Amino acid sequence: MTGTETTSRGPGLRAWRALIAHEGRMVRRDTAGLVIPLGLPLLLLVMNGNGDSPPVPGLGGMSQQLAYVLPMVIVLTIATVGVINMPSFLATYRRYKILRRLAVTPARPAMVLVAQAVVGLAQAAAGIVLVVVVAALLFGLSAPADPLGLALALTLTTAAMFALGMLVAAVSPTPNAALAIGLVSFFAMMALGGGFGPRGNLPDGVAAVGEYLPFGAGLDTLMAAWTGGPLDITQLAALAGVTAVAAAVSARLFRWE
Amino acid sequence: MAVIEVRDIHKRYGETIAVDGVDFDVEQGEIFGVLGRNGAGKTTTVEIIEGLRTPDTGTVRVLGLDPVRDRRAVRTVLGVQLQEGTLPDKATAGELVRLYRSFYADGADPERLLGELGIDDKRDTFVDELSGGQLQRLSIALALVGRPRVAVLDELTSGLDPRARRDTWDLIEQVRAAGVTILLVTHFMDEAQRLCDRIAVFDRGRIAALDTPDGLVARTHATGATLDEAFLAVTDSDSLDDDGAEIGGIALDDVLGSAGTDGTDGQVRS
Repeated sequence: MTGTETTSRGPGLRAWRALIAHEGRMVRRDTAGLVIPLGLPLLLLVMNGNGDSPPVPGLGGMSQQLAYVLPMVIVLTIATVGVINMPSFLATYRRYKILRRLAVTPARPAMVLVAQAVVGLAQAAAGIVLVVVVAALLFGLSAPADPLGLALALTLTTAAMFALGMLVAAVSPTPNAALAIGLVSFFAMMALGGGFGPRGNLPDGVAAVGEYLPFGAGLDTLMAAWTGGPLDITQLAALAGVTAVAAAVSARLFRWE
Repeated sequence: MAVIEVRDIHKRYGETIAVDGVDFDVEQGEIFGVLGRNGAGKTTTVEIIEGLRTPDTGTVRVLGLDPVRDRRAVRTVLGVQLQEGTLPDKATAGELVRLYRSFYADGADPERLLGELGIDDKRDTFVDELSGGQLQRLSIALALVGRPRVAVLDELTSGLDPRARRDTWDLIEQVRAAGVTILLVTHFMDEAQRLCDRIAVFDRGRIAALDTPDGLVARTHATGATLDEAFLAVTDSDSLDDDGAEIGGIALDDVLGSAGTDGTDGQVRS
């Protein structure tokens, strides 16, 4: 209880903290919603991490199989939180007029979007730490060859997935639609991006599209950064481009009620 | 000075005229009723006062402030209780009151407020486990936690059992006694009669009559008329001085039967 300052001041840090903590509780209590983003990547890692493949040259023993599977489950974690879970929360809030209720307080409904994104980031970070720790414990993980490149690829992939999630939330009329649109976008990106098997198995044209959608671009750049290969600048640019376009369109189209 | 001033507001959605020249003042410390059927323009008018919608023409002032231009300042003096279903299921009553308290620089103590509303024993109960009456008390708590000078209460007792309705009425009188001016939107005649100092009866986007409950009843010129009859008389005849309580062929059930199930101005919403 600090302030009795002027009445026209906007909500302060205290409101932001309280709202982020609140959204954190909402996400944590949605137990079913924790299973996919945290459980599925872990399962895929454990089932596939130990393939019988030669080590990546010059990387201290990490297998080529793990060098593909780990970046894949990292992108999977980010995508499930950003493109499936977050829009589903926001569409539910709109449906039940929770955003509208906030609009008649000094808090702005846009604060909820930010708070959800912050909580989503924390959840994705927790999921990433989980798969990295398990990979290290079970499968002989090597340290990333290009930590700065990895940070860049991780940041751009996360930004692109979360911006896409905001776009899904913006255009979905109902919670059900948000879930359906989120799942379809997610599976399409994952299939085209190499999440269900190497992109080499896809027809050339389809594979080329998948390479520049966030899943494929994220997977390739993370893998390259971890193993010391060159980062493809056009894929990084594609991630940045998706972020910019999705963010701009969702800001324009977002329906508050 | 009037706490709420509404001056000749108009609002249309496409072809539908939702509000067609509404004009009234709410005075300091009164409980002002907004009464009318679904689609009469109540909800749109109240949303304009809350700053959720902008009138096509006309002006609104809340304590001299423009709800759209002075949005932030209005939010700190105006407490709003919306119709049901606006709270997340998996939050507890206590968490929500503390969360909403954080939005205001100055406000009530959450624990005390829960106690005053008689739901302090529900502070750790999830929203989806609260009864209708408890939920209504919680939504009143959220409207009051910023210590507003004006409170807008919308369809407060829809869906409550008679006991919970009466308890809620007592509560509203206590809130007013604490100095809060109240704008009460309702379908229910008995509620309006019991609580309101003055009532604006809305019909087809206009105010058909604005008077005290007794004054409205007196307009029917019928001995022993009820507010129900007065309501029907002012909303069904063009002239208020029309002789007698013309009920105009509309059964009471047509007006009241649908009340409380929907609670929105459905068809005028875009």
